[in-house]
Amino acid sequence: MIQASPTILHWTFLTTIIFSIGIYGMLTRKSAVGILMSVELALNSAALNFVVFGKFVAPQLLEGEIFTLFIIAVAAAEVVVFMSILVALYRNLNKIDVTIASELKG
Amino acid sequence: MEALNFSALFFYAFALATIMLSILVVTSRHIFRSAIYLMFVLVLTAGFYVLLGAEFLAGIQILVYVGGIIVLIVFAVMLTTALKEIETPPPVSRRFVAGAASFIFMWINFYALKLFPFKIIANSNSNGVLSEDTVKYFGRKFLDMGPTGFILPFEVISVLLLSAIIGGIVIAKTDDEKANV
Repeated sequence: MIQASPTILHWTFLTTIIFSIGIYGMLTRKSAVGILMSVELALNSAALNFVVFGKFVAPQLLEGEIFTLFIIAVAAAEVVVFMSILVALYRNLNKIDVTIASELKG
Repeated sequence: MEALNFSALFFYAFALATIMLSILVVTSRHIFRSAIYLMFVLVLTAGFYVLLGAEFLAGIQILVYVGGIIVLIVFAVMLTTALKEIETPPPVSRRFVAGAASFIFMWINFYALKLFPFKIIANSNSNGVLSEDTVKYFGRKFLDMGPTGFILPFEVISVLLLSAIIGGIVIAKTDDEKANV
């Protein structure tokens, strides 16, 4: 059966595929929550990529994991701001469709 | 090596599940189901962290993403959309353009990754970090003022989190004075 351990190419191909799926979602989704979820997918794969590089390129250090901790913190902050923008958008338009939200000042 | 390699087996199983669930996240017409699929993707990512030997990160991933971000997204979905609401599918032209863009991105990335020679950086004055010392290592690095320390990004992240909380409250609060009383 499967015998070889996954190499760095396997890991980076996996994260690239997840990132591309995130890009597809960002470009096709109309609802803002859907876009947020696609962005989360992309962020998540980028964070995984840092750990992969840390493990395979500098295995004696844990610098990649530190970067991933920063990415997780930034993602949390981003979701908080996004959610409050979403609530304000919904209050003004009664919808969260980004294609009709074209004005900055309502 | 004749024995079954369990870490490789787990890697391929997790990778297959993650890719399929990610596709479901971006294509599902029920936005609430997308959120649940995203939760499974994030849990599987925690599994990847365990496979890579980053157990502390796996715990943080579950705590912050599944415990915090998914809950916030589900809140956002419930506040703004009816649960039975089905999103209209995007037009074929947009789907085609998005598919082409993501596919071209993926292909270029594959090509670049295949060309790049990944070399292991040898660090002679360190024997690696024991897995039980990981948290101690993170704490030292975050508060280290030396050239290899991370005190500046650490402080910036703290200010960023505080400003995100304040900004979230300011943006979402109503202008109506009566609503606040």
